[in-house]
Amino acid sequence: MSHKNKMKRSEARVGEEECRSSGPSRWSHSRKRGVDGSLRNNSDEDGDDWCRHASFTTPESSGPVSRCSRPTDWGSQVEDEEMRRDMHKDMQRRRILGPEVTQRERRASSGSSGSCDSREGENMETDESVLLRRQKQISYGKNTLAYDRYIKEVPKHLRQPGIHPKTPNKFRKYSRRSWDQQVKLWKVKLHAWDPPSLSSQKTTPNSNSSQELDPCEELDFGDVMDIELDFPTLSHSEHPPTAHWVHASSVTDQDYLGTPVKVQRTESPGGPDMV
Amino acid sequence: MENSTDDYKIQSFDLETQTLLKTALKDPSSVNLEKVSNVIVEQSLKDCVFSKEAGRICYTIVQAEAKQSSGNVFRRLLLNRLQQEFKVREETRTRSLQEWVCYVTFICNIFDYLKVNDMPMVALVQPVYDCLTRLARPDALTNEEEVDCLVLQLHRIGEQLEKMNIQRMDELFFLLRDGFLLQEGLASMTRLLLLEILEFRAGGWMLNSTAHKYYYSELAE
Repeated sequence: MSHKNKMKRSEARVGEEECRSSGPSRWSHSRKRGVDGSLRNNSDEDGDDWCRHASFTTPESSGPVSRCSRPTDWGSQVEDEEMRRDMHKDMQRRRILGPEVTQRERRASSGSSGSCDSREGENMETDESVLLRRQKQISYGKNTLAYDRYIKEVPKHLRQPGIHPKTPNKFRKYSRRSWDQQVKLWKVKLHAWDPPSLSSQKTTPNSNSSQELDPCEELDFGDVMDIELDFPTLSHSEHPPTAHWVHASSVTDQDYLGTPVKVQRTESPGGPDMV
Repeated sequence: MENSTDDYKIQSFDLETQTLLKTALKDPSSVNLEKVSNVIVEQSLKDCVFSKEAGRICYTIVQAEAKQSSGNVFRRLLLNRLQQEFKVREETRTRSLQEWVCYVTFICNIFDYLKVNDMPMVALVQPVYDCLTRLARPDALTNEEEVDCLVLQLHRIGEQLEKMNIQRMDELFFLLRDGFLLQEGLASMTRLLLLEILEFRAGGWMLNSTAHKYYYSELAE
């Protein structure tokens, strides 16, 4: 067995690692952790942003087309492995609890896409890549101070459908568009629980985070246009109960769909075009 | 708590670094984890005593970070640093046998301690095999420190490694058999170690009691 061959192979793939490092993320002031789940710091958190951007602006097809193929650095490989294992555990749990959950969901839910309602076990989404992608999207949404505050404030049994955001069920069969829209809606709703003041906002104390809160994150009109094309019919975005309607106007960064209110008022292209 | 920090064998570090490590163990988000991982990796390459158990301190920091903030920054940094060293291992070996042996010890220790959902990290399996296979090549078998390292690691993680990929273990043992039988000029200690590890694996990663007596007991006068 020639280990030289292996060495060559791994060296050839070094170039792919480049795609994982890019500039700092723009929408990070409510984010506790980087895209890879690790506490925000100034290192490779945003390579993923770039990769995910690619996959999310791809028109609906058989699945996300990532510009980055599988990661070659051990750190990412191990994380992926971990996610996959967690995913399978999740699936097993869902299979067992499935019918019970579906009933509860049917009773409580009012906003999920009816046409795609599928009974657990019969019509579960099982494609690993789809599940992983969806799980990532969910993790980004949960990895926010808003979510933390939300779950502390509203225990599950007190949640009211329609008012309180509900995490989309990744095991249900949905079209890509439908799923993405649900996620956006969910995140938008979560913004109602954003921490009140940006300038005095406290991220989780972490000396690894070199990024200060950036209240001047700008809207990129290119991003806005993307949204217009993808989702022309935004009619029913529900307003959160508080007055803080945050204009979430970009799909490029899936982990945080808000712009600071300050920026919104001055630079918004007008109208809530975001779900 | 102080007793357990002794177990990590951090005495070889200077005091400032010791403090850094101790803090990392308790409060990972308050320290610069990149610095911590570099410090640990660098020391592992120099200090074989430390590298034998460095996996433990790494494991503890990973757990502490996961618990404190659900993060895995440290693990990622550590693994990527480990990977960097892996890429240049041949040069390391040429430059310093000692460093090379320390590296192998360290990566195997990490493999042993850092589990993911109680399973060894798949990403490390091939690299570890690559390292051990390198140690089984003829030019390495002539060096007692390399043989020593090889058999020690196989004792510690052989069984787990085999479960992850039996074919590569088979191939490794072909090399060991060849070395034992055919390679001239091997020190008798080397041949002893090789024979023992061959028996060890053949016995299902353990020695039966008679074999154990043969290899590990004091010879009767």
